[in-house]
Amino acid sequence: MAQLKTVIESPLSAIGDRFLQWSAEVGGMVVLIGQIFVRLNPFKLDGPETWRNMYRIGVKSFPIILVTALLTGAIMVIQSGTYIQQYGAYGLLGWGAGYSVLREVGPILIGLMFSGRVGANNTAELGTMKVTDQIDALRALAIDPLGYLVVPRFYAMILMMFLLVVVGDFTALLGGAVTSQYMLGVDMELFAWSIVTYIKLEDLFHGLFKSIAFGFAIAVISCHFGMSTSGGAVGVGRAVNASVVGSAIAIFVIDFIFTYTFL
Amino acid sequence: MSTSPSDTLDDGSHEAPAEAGFFARMLTSVGQPIVELYGIGKGIMEMFFLTFYYLIRGRKRWSAIFEQMHEIGNRSVVFIAFTLGFLGMILIYQASFQAMKITGDLQLLGALFMQLLWREFAPTITALMLATRVGTGMAAQLGSMVVTEQVDALKMCAAQPVEYLVVPRFIASVVMTVVLTLFAVLVSYLAGAVTANVMFNVNYLTFFNFSFVSWFDLIIGLVKALAYGTAIPVISCYAGFAVHGGSAGVGRATTQAVVYASLAVVVLDFLISGVGFIYLIFLA
Repeated sequence: MAQLKTVIESPLSAIGDRFLQWSAEVGGMVVLIGQIFVRLNPFKLDGPETWRNMYRIGVKSFPIILVTALLTGAIMVIQSGTYIQQYGAYGLLGWGAGYSVLREVGPILIGLMFSGRVGANNTAELGTMKVTDQIDALRALAIDPLGYLVVPRFYAMILMMFLLVVVGDFTALLGGAVTSQYMLGVDMELFAWSIVTYIKLEDLFHGLFKSIAFGFAIAVISCHFGMSTSGGAVGVGRAVNASVVGSAIAIFVIDFIFTYTFL
Repeated sequence: MSTSPSDTLDDGSHEAPAEAGFFARMLTSVGQPIVELYGIGKGIMEMFFLTFYYLIRGRKRWSAIFEQMHEIGNRSVVFIAFTLGFLGMILIYQASFQAMKITGDLQLLGALFMQLLWREFAPTITALMLATRVGTGMAAQLGSMVVTEQVDALKMCAAQPVEYLVVPRFIASVVMTVVLTLFAVLVSYLAGAVTANVMFNVNYLTFFNFSFVSWFDLIIGLVKALAYGTAIPVISCYAGFAVHGGSAGVGRATTQAVVYASLAVVVLDFLISGVGFIYLIFLA
């Protein structure tokens, strides 16, 4: 309510305030990207840490991504099923569901789940380290916190997001095939034939390129908000909230840019 | 959780750890997630029924409800407008591109878009956005209250934490999810209309065609919004109350809140869409 009052009392100052906050966050992210790329020059990657992060990010989110992808494929088949049933064009079911899953819905939904599962977890972990002064302790031990904590997570997230979308795409198509067989009565073979015939390789690659960009955005945003946490347990909660909100916005904006540029 | 008693117990039960090896580990890896999921599901159901009980029996505190409505609704408006606006632009761009290639006819674009928006995209994507924004917010807030022992203080004052904290959030979330879904339809549709007009020269009057939207679509969309609005606060508050162990625990709870709330949205979407499809094909 206090915020509402300031908006009414001095709208310009409220807008400017919000703008400055956003600028600070975006600037912080750009600086973080710069710092990660500076660490490319003498290329040094902490192997065990990267491996451990890849396990935690990829393998641990595997079941959630599988469930999401299965249900996504099923939902897409159900939604296109009503139109297919109306016009009797059963041969187009695989195309309709496959095209939307591979290009848009699969990467977006898996990206949102990934930002919820991995991005939030990452922000919470880094934020907890920050508020309990563990990052300062690393610095005191002459260990570069960015090189040790952020860089391995960054690469692990991009790689694992890509791999999870690869797996998720095929799981979604599988879920769609099962749904089309048992709910619509459209034969699985016809579904598969429709996918193979109408869907081009570039549809798959379009989604996969997007997934790399999503992984990049989620990694940068979650690490930035984690590393700039302040204010105890409340601050950790606030940082996680900001991280998932930022990731969701980034996913939709990047998706639009990709669709607009590469279609 | 102290580790020393469980260690001594373990020493007693595991006589031959080397022989138990592969098979026991396989069974554990299958069984443990199931037991865990059962516990979480039970906790969420308990929270749901407790909320429902206090919703009917308890006293409503309108000031708290309005505060939560402001928190959930007004403060998500910009976020929802941003994400759903972009979604509308993306969907229209993809759809009209395909339609141009196959039929070259964009007459029905707006009508079909409105129908799909009502049935699927507006409620579900809005709910996913709310699950991330509101779910983490609730879990973080309640989690910090648990960590700083404010919830215990409430119990000391003979105030039920569920009645005092969860019920206002529940009511506010159910109302605001429906309102925000309506807002999302509006924003997405307008963004789609502008995209179709600018990129594909579809006249606004042709685009604003609501002839495909039936009562069935409206009801399905509203049922979905209501179901999501019920699930999100219950799951997030469950995650918030289950916090233990300082700021690390708060972080873990917020993650759990997003994951379970988003999963619940996807599962509910599948169930409601499936029931609606069966109704549409076989009964109507």
